[in-house]
Amino acid sequence: MSLSYLLEQTLNGITLGGLYALVALGYTLVYGILLMINFAHSELFMLGGYVGLGVLKVLSDPAVAKATGWGFLEPIQSFFMSGNFGFVMLLVATFGISAIVVGILGMFIERFAYRPLRHAPRLAPLISAIGVSIFLQNAVLLWIDSKQLPYTRVDGSAFVTAKTAFTIGSVNVSTMQVFIVVTSLVLLALLDTFVSKTRIGRAMRATSQDREAAGLMGVDINRVIALAFFIGPALGAIAGVFNGMYYGSVKFNMGFIPGIKSFTAAVIGGIGNLRGAMLGGFLLGIVESLASGFLSNAYRDVVAFVVLILVLIFRPGGLLGEAVAEKV
Amino acid sequence: MTAEAKMARNKKRILYTAIAVLMVIVPLVFQASTGLGFLVRILVIVGIWVLLALGLNIVVGYAGLLDLGYIAFYAMGAYAGVLIGQSFSSVLGGATYWVMLIPAAIAGAVTGLALGFPVLRLRGDYLAIVTLGFGEIVRICLNNNIFGLTNGANGLPQGSDQLVPPFGAIWLQDNVRFETPLGQFVFSQNLFWYFIVVGLCIGAIIVITRLDDSRLGRAWVAMRENEVAAAACGVNIMTQKLWAFSLGALSGGVAGVTFAYVQQFISPESFTFMESVFVVCIIVLGGMGSIRGVIVGALLIRGVPDLIQGLAVAGVLKLPGEAISMITGYRFLVFGLLMVVMMAVRPQGIIPSSRRARELHPEDDSILADEDQSLWDLEHREQSSAHNP
Amino acid sequence: MTSKRRRFIAVVAVVAAMALMVTGCGAKKDTSDTGGTKKATEVVIGIGAPLSDGAVALGKGMVRGTVLAVKQANASQELKDLGLTIATVEGDDKGDPTTGGSVATQFTSNPNLVGVMGHLNSGVTRVAVKIYNQAGIVQVSPANTAVDLTEMGMKNYFRVCTVDSVQGPAAADYAFKVAGKKVAFVVDDATVYGTGLADEWAKQFAADGGKVAGREKTTDKDTDFKALVTLIKSSGAEIVYYGGIYNSAALLSKQMKEGGVSIPLMGGDGIYDPEFIKLAGAANAKGDFCTSVGLPIDQLPKGQEFQAAFKAEFPSEAIAAYDAYSYDAANVIIKAIVQVAKDLGADKLTTTEGKAAIVAAVAKSSFEGVTGKVEFDAKGDTTNKAITVYTVGADGTWAPAAK
Repeated sequence: MSLSYLLEQTLNGITLGGLYALVALGYTLVYGILLMINFAHSELFMLGGYVGLGVLKVLSDPAVAKATGWGFLEPIQSFFMSGNFGFVMLLVATFGISAIVVGILGMFIERFAYRPLRHAPRLAPLISAIGVSIFLQNAVLLWIDSKQLPYTRVDGSAFVTAKTAFTIGSVNVSTMQVFIVVTSLVLLALLDTFVSKTRIGRAMRATSQDREAAGLMGVDINRVIALAFFIGPALGAIAGVFNGMYYGSVKFNMGFIPGIKSFTAAVIGGIGNLRGAMLGGFLLGIVESLASGFLSNAYRDVVAFVVLILVLIFRPGGLLGEAVAEKV
Repeated sequence: MTAEAKMARNKKRILYTAIAVLMVIVPLVFQASTGLGFLVRILVIVGIWVLLALGLNIVVGYAGLLDLGYIAFYAMGAYAGVLIGQSFSSVLGGATYWVMLIPAAIAGAVTGLALGFPVLRLRGDYLAIVTLGFGEIVRICLNNNIFGLTNGANGLPQGSDQLVPPFGAIWLQDNVRFETPLGQFVFSQNLFWYFIVVGLCIGAIIVITRLDDSRLGRAWVAMRENEVAAAACGVNIMTQKLWAFSLGALSGGVAGVTFAYVQQFISPESFTFMESVFVVCIIVLGGMGSIRGVIVGALLIRGVPDLIQGLAVAGVLKLPGEAISMITGYRFLVFGLLMVVMMAVRPQGIIPSSRRARELHPEDDSILADEDQSLWDLEHREQSSAHNP
Repeated sequence: MTSKRRRFIAVVAVVAAMALMVTGCGAKKDTSDTGGTKKATEVVIGIGAPLSDGAVALGKGMVRGTVLAVKQANASQELKDLGLTIATVEGDDKGDPTTGGSVATQFTSNPNLVGVMGHLNSGVTRVAVKIYNQAGIVQVSPANTAVDLTEMGMKNYFRVCTVDSVQGPAAADYAFKVAGKKVAFVVDDATVYGTGLADEWAKQFAADGGKVAGREKTTDKDTDFKALVTLIKSSGAEIVYYGGIYNSAALLSKQMKEGGVSIPLMGGDGIYDPEFIKLAGAANAKGDFCTSVGLPIDQLPKGQEFQAAFKAEFPSEAIAAYDAYSYDAANVIIKAIVQVAKDLGADKLTTTEGKAAIVAAVAKSSFEGVTGKVEFDAKGDTTNKAITVYTVGADGTWAPAAK
């Protein structure tokens, strides 16, 4: 196999890794503070894709304006569909609304499904999270659509057309790929600064180290946890929208496998560690892409799961994490 | 013994006798009633799920290890039983199923050990994810026809091959038939399997009850309640976990081979992650660590929707067609919600084990709170008083 | 103490409920007996299809086709003369073999049931057919494509659709000989249907002299094919064959074209669906091929009649992939029932002898159906092996491809 083939597969992997990384940040943030796996996070990623599609359709699909008979949509749509500024605003609106809606849903889930269990045995919140996950999947299946929906306007045109951004050798890199990778890096940088520099960020770190002590020092634990449950799902939702745009569809069960793999990414990097989650995401994306390109596409999921098991066995703290003794 | 205790014991005796009689009579009545014979088959499938749930209950309920890939052991048992059984069926004949119980149990237990040995050092929630990954690995490998053994999605047995039913099943079906007031009674293969499955479940219950009362059972409880303290008291955590894990897996293997021979066909689609979730649901709903609980859970989750649908289709229950398909459509949604609600409201399940109930939902909150409180809890009494420490 | 008492009461209640239920069944049976014997003999055809889970859209179509056929039969003078009415009963197999087993047992425990039209999934049939075989009941499937189903030695099993070993090679011949593609990349979705079809296609393509440059598997839930597309690009393939259903096929086609691999994708009847074009985008799907079993129904003499009758019966429904096949499959059973009723008498239909005669009559079926001539070979496969190749045209719809 040629070098350009290797390069192209690596690029596929890096893009996929960017998505994993965004989702992994959500797992790692929640785990860092509550020591629980938010099993429902993968469904929030899926919902992000759906909300994004809805927003895109309302704001830039003339067929929707016609079908609903909402005349006021037409001027809005013509703004978003004209020129570069309108297009950028459309993207901002899509990602923003999707992130906010799903973030609020995340806080809602925390409030009703996890908070009552904060002092329960460790299995209880995990089982509750699995319950939320099953519930959300079936809610979408029953109340939105059981079919796979194309990430396009009704007439079949894409919201964001993929163009070639630049070329390395004979390999084309698309704007979408650049967009995904750059966004995930920027969001990580923002989140990293937020957590290390701001007051509430310090409160988050304090809470993750010792919840009780932080509480005694005047940190509002509930607010910190709620914030983590807003940021994590919001990032997941952004990944969900990207996923829809890049791969071209949404379906109610699309979250499960990427969810598990993103969790794997978080574990590889060292769960609770933000930069680790990012590193793990990119590594897993590349490993998976190369495995599917050089070994067998049928076993790509197996490779990801084997990596998860191996990391947990040989380096349970992850690449950037430290070995943590069980708190007594 | 006081009079009151005696009365309680008598009542218990009557209750168990009534259940035993029902368990024999109900399938016979179904079998004899015209058009209701298929309910026996549903009961057989429910029985296999009871067996599965009893097995996972050792892992989740007794040892406190959440296993989200339990169905992998079920699959291992089923595939081992079919693959080995097919090679020896010409020699073993009608004994194939009975003999295959052994390799299936071994396949389950050995897989359990092989997976358990490296991963049981992990914390609870890590373990859940690793077992989930393992379950998926097994399913994907089966589906991709690994080593050319499993015939991929097409399942086993291939083509014209058949699994040999156990001794007597065919003879009874051909020879025991007579008219009853309800319809013709045939001692069908389903009825035969029903009694086998009930026998297996009773066997499992006896073994598990004995285990629970043994040194191993007490070690499990100690470990579940506080691993560090248990280790300090001389409980070998790793060994106890391995015991629980492999015993649960063994039981899954037995359920798997039984399923394979009942259905006469297996394919990877019967071993998906959702099936693992099903078993966990059963245990959570019924009551972790409670034998009666998981039986009731299996009946409710696996049995009731199918029985209602079956009765409705047979015309015994009058339900509109939409209601029938609603049962299937909304089943998982309701299960998901139930898991959340149960954890918040009644984490000990419908029929809790007495020990587990105390653990999860202390009867005397104030005493335990005093024992277990921290400064933070004291400060936040108002906020957290609704929940248990 | 109180909780024990409560439990005791609960158990008593359950026992009472069970007892009521059982007496309920008995009572019900009596009324149906007195009501049934006076009037015409009623026999039942079971419809085994996924109705609440799995491929529900196709399952509902199977019910429509059967119901239409039975309704027409009941209205005919022939049945009235024989003093015979045919009823249908639906069994929801959810596309799952275990549920399918329960449905099959449910069918066989119905004494008036003389034949089964179903099932959709080959895996379900594998379990169900053995149960029907023991009960001596005929099964006619409108949709099972797994080749070895008719090699299980089940004398009561028939199917009116063509199998993978006919559809796959026909498509391969078209790709090699008509479309002139010499190098192919074969992908399947690791399901029974997809693997079988892709294997048969690859075998024939190689036999024709083409080169299979790569063979890969995905899953029917996958949406990320970027790595696969890169692999296809480097393999130098001129056509991609995808064994599976439209969801994943459409995304593969879309990602191929977006990734600069402008070669056509070909699939089986699983992608012969407007959804394929919707999901892939008309521009990307343009030039993709699929095969479907039989001739386009509006080109067949009986097809237009069927379309008209369908419109009259179900004005708000569209004809799905298996409606016509189910109509034919149901007619196979109906014609056999009529034949046996004439030979042995209507009252003998539900006896063991009658059921055996129905199986024999089905094996000898020969009539002009909606999907073409309906006849079975010794194994129970249809002798109608017509395959039509379709392609996505500039207008974004499937149209028969140039021969």
